[in-house]
Amino acid sequence: MIKQATFYKKRIYPLLFMFLVTVICILITSGLFLSTQERATANELSFTRRAILDAGGLEYTPTTEGIEKTYKEKVQVEDGGTYYTAETAEGKRYILPMQGPGLWGTIAIMVGLEEDLTTFSGLAIVSQNETPGLGGRIEEPWFTQQFQGKKSPFTLVNEGTADAPNEVDAITGATRTSEYFRNLTNRASTDAKRIIRGE
Amino acid sequence: MAKSKLRKTFLEPLGKNNPVFVQILGICSTLAVTNKLQNTMVMVLGVMFTTALSSWTISLLRNHIPSRIRMMVETMVIATFVIIVDIVLKAFYPEMWKQLGPYVGLIITNCIIMGRIEAFALQNKPFLSLVDGLASGLGYAYVLLAIAFFRELLGTGSLWGYQILGSWWTNWSIMIMPPGGFFVLAIFIWVIRETIMKEEKA
Repeated sequence: MIKQATFYKKRIYPLLFMFLVTVICILITSGLFLSTQERATANELSFTRRAILDAGGLEYTPTTEGIEKTYKEKVQVEDGGTYYTAETAEGKRYILPMQGPGLWGTIAIMVGLEEDLTTFSGLAIVSQNETPGLGGRIEEPWFTQQFQGKKSPFTLVNEGTADAPNEVDAITGATRTSEYFRNLTNRASTDAKRIIRGE
Repeated sequence: MAKSKLRKTFLEPLGKNNPVFVQILGICSTLAVTNKLQNTMVMVLGVMFTTALSSWTISLLRNHIPSRIRMMVETMVIATFVIIVDIVLKAFYPEMWKQLGPYVGLIITNCIIMGRIEAFALQNKPFLSLVDGLASGLGYAYVLLAIAFFRELLGTGSLWGYQILGSWWTNWSIMIMPPGGFFVLAIFIWVIRETIMKEEKA
């Protein structure tokens, strides 16, 4: 009898206990996950659309509704999502999702190009894993906005000295990230010509 | 008696039993997230939430957990709370989640949380454990915020993302890189131990 009691206490009870705790924890987390999934997906979608609008250099009200409204009015999905187009007063714009290596992980961006497929109409960061405060500064507006109206291929110059239409500011203290970013953006034009015009 | 114990439980992690500069716990995250105040704030709020609630939960279960598997149960409870933080951030603060995604998961590995459970929650009543967890979180929070204050200010010339120092300021890039964390943390611990802690001992 005593042996059976210890068997239960030593082997069965811990197993049952762990099983029960696991089930409860999974129920809580998956319940919460499912109940917020719709919101999370909507956020994700709105975020991508915002990046497309930014890259295309389109004006919009920065709310979820504003983004959706402008996106639906102006942007067309082409070729099942490989690229997007937008009609603006200054002509047609091509917006291309791209990704490439960064210093720590993949950098994903949206590149907006004018009709010549060489001049940038804008650029937006979709995701990046660079060092916060250094390479992570590629997300800052001054960095992304400087590409507007510039012609690729780009050369990097010291932070705050970019002048010519093919020069972009590198980030001080983040030379490697800046180089990876330059390589990625320099590919945009050739990629776009291949995908859009089949060249 | 009960009141003084509560007081002691709350005050000790803030001062002479501080998790960071006395117990030297949670150093990994202290070094990793303190290069910007915003990152740090989210991290410390997440840690406070997780230490407080997981200490409380484990304390509630403490008489039922078989001691051989207690660490598995603790990890499970901690991970659950961290995932809750992650899901809530993702759904309601997507911008912040984008910036901090990888850090949130790191809360699980913060040894303060498990340390407080093992050292305190397993022997004490739920409410007292909740207070202990919260106070440990607070003790961790103010040290990290202080470190982040100096790292962000010296490293980028700004605070909370706003430019504070003018263009005459040359950024000390080393401050926002990992070595900067070691320097500031070490100086912080040294100053505290040489001044405040020494007086207490004398």
